[in-house]
Amino acid sequence: MNKIMGTVLAFTLTAALTACGTSGNNTNGANSATTNTTTNNAVAQETDKPAAKDLVISTWGFSEDFFKEAVYEPFEKEYNVKIVVEIGNNAERLNKIRQGSSDVDVIYLSDYYAQQAIDEDLFEKVDRANIPNIDSIYDLAKAPLGEDYGPAYTIGRLGIAYNPALVKGEVKSWKDLWTAFPKNLTLPAITATAGPMIVDAASVVSGSTEFNEDQAYAKLKELDSNVVKYYSQTSEYVNMFAQEEIAGGPIMEMYFKDLKAAIPAAVFVAPSEGAYAVMNTLNVVKGTDNKELAEAFINWQLSKEVQEKSAKGKIDSPVNTEVVLTEEEAQGVTYGADVIGKLRKLDMKFVNQNITEWTDRFNREIGG
Amino acid sequence: MNKRFLYLLLLPGILFLAAFMLIPIMLTIASTFVQDGQLTLEGYLHFFRDGYFNRILFTTLRVSVVTTLVCVVLGYPAAYYISRTSARKKSILLALAIFPLLTSPVVRSFSWMIILGKKGLLNTFLLSTGLIHDPLEIMYTPVAMMVGLVHLFLPLIIITLLGVMENLDYELVLAARSLGASSFTAFRKIIFPLTVPGLIIGSILVFVGSLTAYTTPALLGGKERVISTFLYQNAMTLNDWQAASVIAVIMIVITFVVVGLMNKWANRLNPKG
Repeated sequence: MNKIMGTVLAFTLTAALTACGTSGNNTNGANSATTNTTTNNAVAQETDKPAAKDLVISTWGFSEDFFKEAVYEPFEKEYNVKIVVEIGNNAERLNKIRQGSSDVDVIYLSDYYAQQAIDEDLFEKVDRANIPNIDSIYDLAKAPLGEDYGPAYTIGRLGIAYNPALVKGEVKSWKDLWTAFPKNLTLPAITATAGPMIVDAASVVSGSTEFNEDQAYAKLKELDSNVVKYYSQTSEYVNMFAQEEIAGGPIMEMYFKDLKAAIPAAVFVAPSEGAYAVMNTLNVVKGTDNKELAEAFINWQLSKEVQEKSAKGKIDSPVNTEVVLTEEEAQGVTYGADVIGKLRKLDMKFVNQNITEWTDRFNREIGG
Repeated sequence: MNKRFLYLLLLPGILFLAAFMLIPIMLTIASTFVQDGQLTLEGYLHFFRDGYFNRILFTTLRVSVVTTLVCVVLGYPAAYYISRTSARKKSILLALAIFPLLTSPVVRSFSWMIILGKKGLLNTFLLSTGLIHDPLEIMYTPVAMMVGLVHLFLPLIIITLLGVMENLDYELVLAARSLGASSFTAFRKIIFPLTVPGLIIGSILVFVGSLTAYTTPALLGGKERVISTFLYQNAMTLNDWQAASVIAVIMIVITFVVVGLMNKWANRLNPKG
């Protein structure tokens, strides 16, 4: 018996530890392969050119086929490089470069995580002369985290989506979250990219002209009994929406097409107080040997050609002002100077300074 | 062959375990006792003084204990039945029993949404029979978490019990019956004590699995937090590895305590086991 118990003890200990380490992957759709290699054989086989260098790009991994075909392959051909892709969510990939155990050259991160990396001195300062396409993007996207760091290559917006059959009355403003969703609302978890935006929206709804943390939390507490779940992944939102567990809640516009596919009557609104700008940035990781190549890649991602393709494919909203979309093409895409001009932008430095406390308060006072 | 040489064969495995498991665990444990270069228990005291953390711990333990009990109650008869059927039927039943282990936890959790949701199969059925008038709110509660975990871990307990039950000598039961014992007495005095080791191992696996499960509670659990999702929040989104390590060590200690207690209990039930 004791022998058996010893074996079990060893097994359970291993299980306990491995469970902590691996389980996170399962929820963000990157269960098995976290590293993925994209090679271009045509380039590799050309013998008259020197062997291709590797450029390591760290990204989320959504719409992989699109990026491979429209972004990576043309760049590989032009610069005779081999692009190697590392995949994971924001937090995982940021942790990887934090630990210094990765040789990533360019990293795609949301502005909120990119700010953390900047505060910890993990990025190279970019040379804007090597990224001339910055001149043709919206001002908001040029230097969201300061002149020294990379631009935003896409600006999306966080508004409210809802199922008209399940809400009470019309939804037009952030205020309506408090009145139109009887026990069928979802909100982003505080640690999700959109979490801090909801804290800000609650402060706005509370009537405060400047951000007021206490009032925001009091307001969020009022809302808690109507919240079914605080979502961490957009896939959770989409599933709850499709199953009519929820009538709706704040979501990024780019994901609205998934809601519409499930419930064709679904509506997306930019609240009257202003939708929130959600920016994804590109930055060069400190210690790279390929800084200029990395900057050339950023420049390529901002080019009209890539931006137009990714907007038309409804992959990412464009920031390049030269991109022209028809009304149909612009559906579900955050597009146009007037739309971008109305967005509210959070100060990511301020958010990062407060996020630990906000998370703690959210856990204790409101809900998971 | 030289006996010492045989020991050398163990070396690669031991080195591997030491380098990639024992040393990291030791470092993790050691790091929790040091703060700003000083030895301290502050990391732990901070947690145990905190009502919020105690609540999370309590929820986690409650969910794990209930999951384990339900798995035992459902798994024991199932394993007994499977162990007594013909070989062909046995392989089919066993394959069915372990099927949940072969699907991804994400898919499994989403399928529960279709069954337990407000418009799910269960509510639709109950509403149509008139047994209830408003849909039951099961999704995003600890109950949904337990249902998901039982689904996940029932195969484990069935497999471990089956291993023990298949090796039982049923002639002992026949002998007991021939000496006048009722079938219940034969079960109570012979089968149950002999299957206690399997029951204990299965229960430990289920308990520890439920204690550390992440995906199922994260997807089915709604607003109530469990310890593993709290650990994930600290490590991955707040980047507070010190707090995450403290939580990990608390989880390890709970595991050891539970295994120790169950061991004692098993010895009482089956001293010769």
